[in-house]
Amino acid sequence: MTARVVLVDDHRMFRSGVKAELDDAVTVVGEAPDVDAAISVIRQTRPDVVLLDVHLPGGNGNGGSDVVTGCAGLQTEAGDPVRFLALSVSDAAEDVIAVIRAGARGYVTKTISPTDLISAIDRVQDGDAVFSPRLAGFVLDAFGATAGEIAEVDEELDRLSAREREVMRLIARGYQYKEVAKELFISVKTVETHVSSVLRKLQLSSRHELTSWAMQRRLL
Amino acid sequence: MCGRKWVRLGGVSETARVDGVQRPPLARPTEGRVVAGVCAGVSRHLGVPLASLRVITAISIVFLFGLPVYAFLWLTMPQSDGPALVNPFDREHSGISRSRLFLIGIPVLVVGGLAVSGAIRSVARLSLTLPLLVIGIGLVLVWSRLGTAERRQWISADDRRETRIRTVIGIVMALMGLILLLSQGGGFGRLRDVTVGVLVVLLGVGILGAPFIARFFDTLRTEQTERIRATEKADIAAHLHDSVLQTLALIQRRADDPQAVQLLARAQERELRNWLYAEQAPKDATLASAVKEAASDIETLHGIPVDVVVTGDRPIGEAGAALVQALREALANAVRHGAPPVSVYLEVGPGEAEAFVRDHGPGFDPADVPEDRLGVRESIMGRMDRHGGEAQVRRLDDGTEVRLRMPLPEPTTVDDDNAKDET
Repeated sequence: MTARVVLVDDHRMFRSGVKAELDDAVTVVGEAPDVDAAISVIRQTRPDVVLLDVHLPGGNGNGGSDVVTGCAGLQTEAGDPVRFLALSVSDAAEDVIAVIRAGARGYVTKTISPTDLISAIDRVQDGDAVFSPRLAGFVLDAFGATAGEIAEVDEELDRLSAREREVMRLIARGYQYKEVAKELFISVKTVETHVSSVLRKLQLSSRHELTSWAMQRRLL
Repeated sequence: MCGRKWVRLGGVSETARVDGVQRPPLARPTEGRVVAGVCAGVSRHLGVPLASLRVITAISIVFLFGLPVYAFLWLTMPQSDGPALVNPFDREHSGISRSRLFLIGIPVLVVGGLAVSGAIRSVARLSLTLPLLVIGIGLVLVWSRLGTAERRQWISADDRRETRIRTVIGIVMALMGLILLLSQGGGFGRLRDVTVGVLVVLLGVGILGAPFIARFFDTLRTEQTERIRATEKADIAAHLHDSVLQTLALIQRRADDPQAVQLLARAQERELRNWLYAEQAPKDATLASAVKEAASDIETLHGIPVDVVVTGDRPIGEAGAALVQALREALANAVRHGAPPVSVYLEVGPGEAEAFVRDHGPGFDPADVPEDRLGVRESIMGRMDRHGGEAQVRRLDDGTEVRLRMPLPEPTTVDDDNAKDET
């Protein structure tokens, strides 16, 4: 079954471009140019995946984060939660982190190739996280992994475990999940588990860098 | 000049007015003047009969006190360039009729004449005429500089009640001051009386003029804000013109060459993003910025997009510069011989920096490696070796990856060391 997708972006040209690229692989059931329209379209159509621009007009002025918080708890007809994938040109780490912390399952840049975008949508639909190299870089920076801070136990929320750090580094180097799996001699499923765990830490951690980003965006 | 500007503004606001009396600006016409056109100008502006005004003026000049007033108006009234922008008054309906003009004018003449003759008779009386003269001049000056809209506002604000109270208080104050001045005695107490009188007069005038002063500063502030905004807008326009518009024009001309178009678009995007989200810290002299710059150079040179991800940063240093050089060579190789997407990952840790350059080419057979490529690789590895680092080339299932590792002695700055000691 192809994924039912809603496109949220304030540029009509971009929406039609993405729609043309994705036409065969997914079903685009709705589009919206701003926060308020997005929330009503998503509530109405209850799609599997929402492709969400980080910067959007309307709402409380927090762009994509407002859409995610405004649609909290929404479920598809199959009973899965409606999932969000941030799709943006934004280079600003705090904007990206804010959308992820609001509940998006991943972040990819708009320069992504159509095939990669389709596989990212499938992955998000299955409940996995999607990390672009850039997001992996942000994560490594934000958790101090570059400076050598490593969690003693995997459950520690404010640091990455050694394995998670390895996975993030490989993603930052431009490796696909299956390449990461091969490199680390683990299964793709395990890679996905690690990535999801990093996503969870990213959303739940109270690490001060993350908190200050979130504070700036008035999320806490 | 200021006066000229006022005439223009006055004209504009006159024509903008729909209701009420249309009042030509207070200016000396070039035609129909007898001496300097003061009377003609005042007559047009106030709508008083010209002949009667001239008679009163002539008498006042005979009495001497009209002379400074006439001279003052002559000096301050701007000369109107052409015919009035609006029609003069409809004499029957608005303006001041001849009888009313004489009703006001004759007492003025009498009082003025008495004051002047009094002033001539005794120098002490100057303390009475001088404040009167100053107040009169001030009022005329303020009145003549006000725009029509401002004048109306001054006379009748939106809140009529407030205006009336303000006017009454102002007039009472001024009168009290005058009475004090008039009833001044002699000797030591007189000085105090005069001071109090002058203060009360000033207070009255201040209350009368307060809304105008407030409005004046408001206007000034608004003008300043607008000027700043205009400057900013001009800056943005100039920048967009020099960068984005030029690129768009280039893209239109090269629409048949997708690669060139993509390259132009990417370069422009990078430039615009830099401009919009420019970081406050100086961008040169750090390892991360040097790597980003090298990547964008390669991108521009070869027309293949390069994705850069950087974590951590530090001042560049000599070893860092060597790393950037080697990275640049590796990147050039990747875009020339590999296939996109090409990506760079730089990780700056506490003791060393690691860089990865990855492409998605078909890989290569070592036997087929051309001479120049081997040479380049030699220069990458040789350079890294010389600075105590190392370089590895790995063949992946899908492409090639160059790994550059460079130990960097004594990390970063004193501040960081302090921070580490504390934790």
